Amino acid sequence: MSYFRIQLVRSAIGLPRRTTDVLKALGLKKRMATVFHAVSPSVAGQIMKVKELVEVQEVDKRLTKQEVHLERKPDPGYYVEKTGVAEFKELRRR
Amino acid sequence: MMFKPSSPLFSGLLWKIPWRISSPQKARQRKRLRAVDRVVDTVSAALARNGETAKPVTRWFNEMPREEEMVPKDKYTIFDKKEKKYRKGIHKLPKWTRVSQRVNPPGF
Repeated sequence: MSYFRIQLVRSAIGLPRRTTDVLKALGLKKRMATVFHAVSPSVAGQIMKVKELVEVQEVDKRLTKQEVHLERKPDPGYYVEKTGVAEFKELRRR
Repeated sequence: MMFKPSSPLFSGLLWKIPWRISSPQKARQRKRLRAVDRVVDTVSAALARNGETAKPVTRWFNEMPREEEMVPKDKYTIFDKKEKKYRKGIHKLPKWTRVSQRVNPPGF
């Protein structure tokens, strides 16, 4: 089962009402929003309606909103050191 | 004479669209055409992997040329019956950066 990963790159401001409605049906409310939909002819038809506004990828897994957000999170630049005992316990738990 | 009457000064708000499109605009136009091709390719490949087809996708492949198949005339100008040689710059088309305009009416 694969999914379409659809990101709204260009806004539909000033475009016909139908275009906005299709975006709404896909769940794209604002620019740079990402949604996942199972690959099917009906979703393909919806994408074709807004193909000038979106970027599409085919992916194996659908990510949650948080996971999509974490992809863009920069490296914090530090890490918290632990004592040897704590690290050992964590390794054993895995 | 201080005041030189010209159309932009004489009337209120008057925007003019230049008659030709600049080369960076052309480059971005090509980029957008390729982006649309990429989206359609991705969608059709994903459907093919599932053994499915969709009417709008097959229709697009039957009717629309790809960016690399298009002649410059079609990339940067559109048909207009009111123009002298029936062509005008594509940047005169409303919302031209967000609509697909690739083919000409039959006979043009």
